[in-house]
Parts: sequence; structure tokens; C-alpha cells
Amino acid sequence: MTTLLEARTVCKSYGDFHALTDVSLSVADGEFISIVGPNGAGKSTLVNVLTGLLRPTSGRVAFRGTDIGGIGPVELARRGMARGFQLVNVFPELTVRETLGVAASSRLKRTGNPLRSLVRDREIADAVEEVAEIFNLRHRLDQPARALSQGEKKLLDVASAFALKPELILIDEPTSGVSTGDKHSIMELLIDACRKAGVRGIIQVEHDMDLVARYSDRIVALQAGRVLADEKPEVFFKDPALIAAVVGTRPPQLRPKAANLNTSSETASQRSAAC
Amino acid sequence: MSMYVDMILGGVFHAAVVFLVAAGLQLVFGVQKIVNLACGSFYALGAYFGITAVAGAAAMGLPSVVVLPVLLAAGLAIGLIGLPVERLLRTVYRRDESHQLLLTFGLLLVFQDVMRFLWGPTPLTLDNAYLAYGTAEFAGVRVPTYNLLVIAASIAIAAGLGLFLQRTRTGRIIRATAENREMSEGLGVNSNRVFAAVFTVGCMLGTVGGALVVPASAASLEMSVELVVEAFAVVVIGGLGSMRGAMAGALIVGLIRAVAIMVLPEAEILSIYVVVIAVLILRPAGLFGKAMA
Amino acid sequence: MSAPHIVESTALARPAAEASRASGLWAFLVIVAAMAALPFFASTYTLTLMVPFFALAIALLGFNLLFGYTGLLSFGHAMFLSIGAYSAAVMTSKLGILSFELILLVSIAASVIIAVPVGFLCVRYTRIFFGMLTLAFGMLFHSVLYKFYGITGGDQGMRVLRPLLFGMEFEGGKTAFLTGPFYYYALGLLTALGLLMWRIVRSPFGLHLQAIRENAQKASYLGVEVTRMRLSAYVISGVYGGIGGAILAITIGLADPEIVYWTQSGNLVFMAVLGGSGAFIGPVVGSLAFVLLQDMVMSVTQYWRFVMGAVLILLVVFFPGGLSGIAGGLFTRFKRGS
Repeated sequence: MTTLLEARTVCKSYGDFHALTDVSLSVADGEFISIVGPNGAGKSTLVNVLTGLLRPTSGRVAFRGTDIGGIGPVELARRGMARGFQLVNVFPELTVRETLGVAASSRLKRTGNPLRSLVRDREIADAVEEVAEIFNLRHRLDQPARALSQGEKKLLDVASAFALKPELILIDEPTSGVSTGDKHSIMELLIDACRKAGVRGIIQVEHDMDLVARYSDRIVALQAGRVLADEKPEVFFKDPALIAAVVGTRPPQLRPKAANLNTSSETASQRSAAC
Repeated sequence: MSMYVDMILGGVFHAAVVFLVAAGLQLVFGVQKIVNLACGSFYALGAYFGITAVAGAAAMGLPSVVVLPVLLAAGLAIGLIGLPVERLLRTVYRRDESHQLLLTFGLLLVFQDVMRFLWGPTPLTLDNAYLAYGTAEFAGVRVPTYNLLVIAASIAIAAGLGLFLQRTRTGRIIRATAENREMSEGLGVNSNRVFAAVFTVGCMLGTVGGALVVPASAASLEMSVELVVEAFAVVVIGGLGSMRGAMAGALIVGLIRAVAIMVLPEAEILSIYVVVIAVLILRPAGLFGKAMA
Repeated sequence: MSAPHIVESTALARPAAEASRASGLWAFLVIVAAMAALPFFASTYTLTLMVPFFALAIALLGFNLLFGYTGLLSFGHAMFLSIGAYSAAVMTSKLGILSFELILLVSIAASVIIAVPVGFLCVRYTRIFFGMLTLAFGMLFHSVLYKFYGITGGDQGMRVLRPLLFGMEFEGGKTAFLTGPFYYYALGLLTALGLLMWRIVRSPFGLHLQAIRENAQKASYLGVEVTRMRLSAYVISGVYGGIGGAILAITIGLADPEIVYWTQSGNLVFMAVLGGSGAFIGPVVGSLAFVLLQDMVMSVTQYWRFVMGAVLILLVVFFPGGLSGIAGGLFTRFKRGS
């Protein structure tokens, strides 16, 4: 199994404050990793370091073997890694077609000549329709993003990242702000899309333990900037102390969810194996 | 030696006046997040109204020693125009900043013609008032006492404003609203009233600045647009929204001008923009500004 | 601490971007056709107003690429008008080169030479900081032109002589030249540059600019090179400004520092919002309306600033979508009614 992304003894500090201390983790080809932890554990700093936005103070982050510390978002996209956002982060006035077109035209390097036609570019159009098809957004192609429902905006945000055809995608609470009924369908759609679009790995940052339990291959728990645990879900959810440390106030709720974990983690690993 | 003292005093006098306008700009930007181009109009309005008030006082037979208090009172009184102007600005608080800038730009144009209508197109002066306070000996140089009084008044206003914002309840409410409007509203602050008060005080700073300058230089229609860019240079150098920045910026601008007039008159205005650009590039938040973004 | 280039843009109260709708092109072509027919029935006076309109429309097409499409409000764009104007002045009255094609080339080259370093410094900032930095550069230009009398003629400005068009010299009075050959020449330039801009905004490049306007951070994660794109937009808009300035200087016959005073930059923003910054046709509509309005008001009253200022205030408060926003609204209502 080849390693897609690897962080080795990463530290990040701001002055005296150590946001991350000796964090190591890796994402192998075909894996779905969840990063969990209470607020202030360093999740967003870790995400920013993993996506090359921040350069680690020490340690190394490598994507497919090459260092990506501090390379910045554009270079990250070029190397094959995409990022979705926790807050809905679409372009309000651009249509779904245009939003997906932004990613497609940077992937296909179409912006060097400002006189090149967008509408007559078959390759961009095909790429846009392909992604829209996967995310059930075809009927919305000519709607501006602001007119979409909250769930659709979430999908569009992730879909635009998919339009880069990344090998690895990092998503930050992909279902936050979406009703409980919709969140599983969105996750299923995401994992399905991942398989269709040829994405090799997913990292998600998630608070919702139900989703974490059901879809992850591995769970990386952060606490106070350190890796508290890096376990398979079946191990992770058998340790009440661990769960309490990560979730904080509501460990009792997790018992029944942990009970149906075997079946769901099976489906998750089947899915990601197919990825 | 005396030449340098003269030069520095000239620069500080200029700084004292520009500081007042810039402080008004800062206050409004700090709380309402609006860059008010009409601050130049307030300055010119204060100047014209100050001349009218002094003329009125002279007609009433008051001695010329009252010039300074009359000018201060005139500046404060005409500053109340900030209240209706703020009502108008309220329509664009949550809009794009191009709209905010354009609205205040429109006000600047309107005010310029209102002043042309009321006071005519030719500049007005108030020469005899300048000498009412005589001259004083300062570090071996004879300077008009009036200049020293204005510098002192400006420092007093700066100190008063600082104490007001730091020490009083209202001042704390204003700072809280500047920090986070939603949160202070949640705590029961009527932000509309805070905005109206802040804008009016900001406006008064401008009108008082204009009123104080007329004994030294003429009131003209062009002074509004000219001062806008200078006040803007001050706040950029000092840092948007910072009162200490306004003070430092005003001193820098005043002294640069004074030095340039002596050394290389062609570069008087030019040198200010060179400094502005240098500051924006090296320290975009200004000398005392918070980091942007 | 965060890198300045990913400063998040706030929700703008911009009207719905109808920027890439095909109706924009048709509206542009209709206006151009009307302008081409105008000399057959309009008075000479009206025609003399139209050439400055063509010049401003060209400058504004560029300005709107930066403002309406990329979301960067320049408050010093008159700088490029002055670059074009002084290029024309230096070429014609100092160097004796009268070919207008060469004047245009020099204006373009000078605009690029200035726009690249200035843009490089400015586009790292957004919002009010970008506005202030461009304003400072504009005023820097103003004070250079104003104070260095020996080179620039100071506040007297420099004379701009009548140029040759395609190497041809035109006899007759100034008005005959401006309302005849030069009228069509400038209209031709407006048409060509308008069509060129239409292609630019409808290209993947133009799409990336709009993505930057909407949300620069998100755009960068979709592979948009935010800083480079902004700089390109700035340079293109500068070139349009330079061409507009050269035409403007020829109609006035003079290049003086007033053309780059900050209020002139303010007028450009006024025109852009008057026309509607969310629409492709906005700059053309805005500059036409501005030129006509200003001429009308100035002929009626000496207090034209008051009227223009009041119009601006009413516009911002009640019709932030500008004239094309109003027209679009009426059109929608009409379609719904029928």
C-alpha cells in the first residue's frame, strides 16, 4: 500500500504557544481518515499544515513523497490535493456551471490566454457535467450558488474540489449545517463520488461521532496539539476514556452507536477498498 | 537655529489642525468602518462658519480676544450637521464599501456647492484675528501666540478624547461597538445611537479643526478636497482606526511638509505620498494599526 | 496572522452578476450602431460630447474588469488617463510625432510599464487598502505632474496637437476633425476594445477573476492564482485607461494635472456605479449617462456639483444596481407582465 500523505513529527508553534507537538500521521492509498478532537485541540492548525497553507515549525509534511510544507493552495491543487471548507464557501453569484468551471479551467490550464473562449471549450464543459452528474447537481447547473439549498451548497463546495480531479481530498465537517436526515445521504454521495472520480484518499475533520464511526478506516484523535490515538474505529470506540477525551461531555450517548459499528465500518471499508 | 524652530513650529501647527480632521476620520472608521470622504467638507464648513461667527461677534461689539472661544463654539455648533448626515449614511452601513465611499463622495460634491452658494466662490480670510493674541517668544523665535494656542487646544482635545474613550462608560460602549457590533447589541447597546453620537463627534472634530485654522489661512472651496487627501495620508501612515496613529501620522505629515517647503518646495506634496506608499508597502496596517484581515 | 492575499471578501451588496449574459453584447452593439448613425442627424455640439464619451467608455471598460469582475476598487484609476494624455502630449508637442497609431502604442506601452510595478505593489491588498494604495499612487502622479513645471508644464499642462489618423492629415477646423474622422476613429476603437473585453470576461481567465471577486480564498484552493490574476486584470485595465486618456487628451487639446486629481478617479467610480458594475454594458451606459448629465446640468446651473452629488447619493441609496440594474428590473417586470 503506497502512502499518499505523510506528516512526520510535525510541530507548529506561535511564539510560546505550541499548537501542534510531534504530530505524525499518514494516509495510505484508498484510506478514509477522520481527524477528531475537542475544540482547541489543534485540528484547524493541523488541517492548514497538511494542506500546505502553513509551514510546520519543525517536522515534514509530504504528499506522494515530496515536501508540501507551506507551498500554498494553488500549488497544492496542482499537485493533486484538494480541500473543502467547513463553512459553506461557494461563490454566491456564480452559477454551478461556472463554479465547477473555475476548478476545471485551472486543472486544464486554460487561463494563460485571456481571449480563449470558455463556452466553446468542450473539455471544460465535459468535466463540469461529469462532476455535476456525480453530485446530482445537473439540474442546477445554471442556478447561481446563492439560490441553492444549504445541503446543495455543501455539495457544490465539495464538488468544486472534485473538479480538480484530486488524488487526496480534505474535507472539514462536510455535513455541518445540514439536517440529520440528509447527512448520511451526503456522506454516501461523497464516498460514491470519490470512487467515481478516482480520488485515492479522504481526510475528514468531523465532530459527529456517528459519521466518524460509520465511514472511517482510521481515526486520529488530537488533544492539546498531540496525537492522542491513531486507531481503527473498532479499537477506538471500545475505549471509553478515549471517547470521553475527544467528545468531552457526551460519552454515554455513544454506547448504542458503537454497537452498530461493526456492520457500518464493514461497509465503509468495502467502499474505500473500491475507491 | 531659529529657522529650524520656525520650521518645526509651522509643521506642528499644521499637524495640530490635520490631526483633528484625521481623528474624526479615525473615529468614524473605527466604529462604522466607513472611510468618510466628506470629512474634508466638514473641515471647510467649520472654516466658513467660523468666519461668519467671528464676524457676528465683532458686529456685536465683542472684543477680539474672544476669537478663539467663538471659533471653538462655532466649530462645535456646525458639527451638529453630523446628525442628519449620519441618518443618510445609515442606509449603506451593510453595503459594499464602494457604495459607502461614493455616498460620502456625493456629499463632498453637494457640500462644496452649498458652501459656494452661501459664502461665494472667492476665498474668505480673517486676518486681523490672527494678531489679536499678539506674538510670543518661543525658543528664541517670535511666533504668533494663536498658533501656540491652537497646538495646545488640539493636544487638549486629543487628551480629552482619549480619556473619554478609555475611562468613561460611554467611551467603553463605543469601543465595544467598534469591536463587535452584534455582540454589543446583544448586551443591550443601542448601536444606532452610538453610531449617531460617534459620527457627530467625528464631524465636530473636523469642523473645529476647520474653524481653528481660519485665522491662519483662508477658507476656500478647494480646502475640502485638498484636506481629504492629506487627512487620508495621515490615517494611512498612522494606521486606520488608531487615535495614536492619527497623532503620529499628523506630526509626520506636518513635519515632512515643513521640511520639504524649506529644502525642496517642488516635493512638498510629493514627499507625503512617497511616505504614504512606503508605509502601505512596508507596514500596510500603518504604524499603529492592527494587522489587517 | 494571515497572508494578505487570502483576505476573505465579505458578501457584497452587488446586484446579481449578469456579467456573462449574451444580452450584454447585444446592448453594446446597439449602442455602437446608434453612435455610428448619430452624425447623420445629431447636432455638431452633441457629437463633440460623444468623443469624450468614447474615451471614458474605453477607460471604464478596463476599470470595470478590475472593479466589477475582480472586485478591486481602484480609487486612483485616473492615473492611467493621465498616462495616455501625457503620452499624447509628449509625442505630439515635444517629439513632433503625430501618428495616432504610434501615440496609441506608446500610451499602451507606458501604461504597461507603470501598471506592472504599481499593480505588483497594490494587488497584494484588497478592499479599502487597495483603494487607498491606488489613491496614493494617483495623487503621487498628480503632484509630480503638477510640481515639476519644467518637464510637464505644471498646472498649465501640455498642448496636445491634432494627430494624423492612418498617416493622413485632416484639413479644416478642430470641431470638424473631432466630429468627423476622429469621431469614427474613436468609435472604432471603442467597438474593437469592447469586443475584446467581451472575449476577456467570457474566457476561463475572466471566470477566474470573478471567482476571486466572490471568494479569493476558496478560489485559491481551486487553483486560481489570485495575485497573478489580479495583476493581469490591473494591467489590462490600465491599458484601457491609457488608451482612453490618449483619446480624451486629443479632444481637449491639452494634458493637465486635473485629469489625475483624485476627484477624477472618484468620477470614474461614479460612472461605473451609475451604469451598474455588475453588467458588461454598465461602463458604456454609465459614461454616456455621466457625460450627458454633466453637460445638461452644467448648462443649466453653476451649481452642477450639487446636482451631480445629489444624483450620486440618490443612486447609491435607492438604485445600487445602476442604470443597467434598473433596466434589467424593468425588463424582468415587463416579461412577467406579458
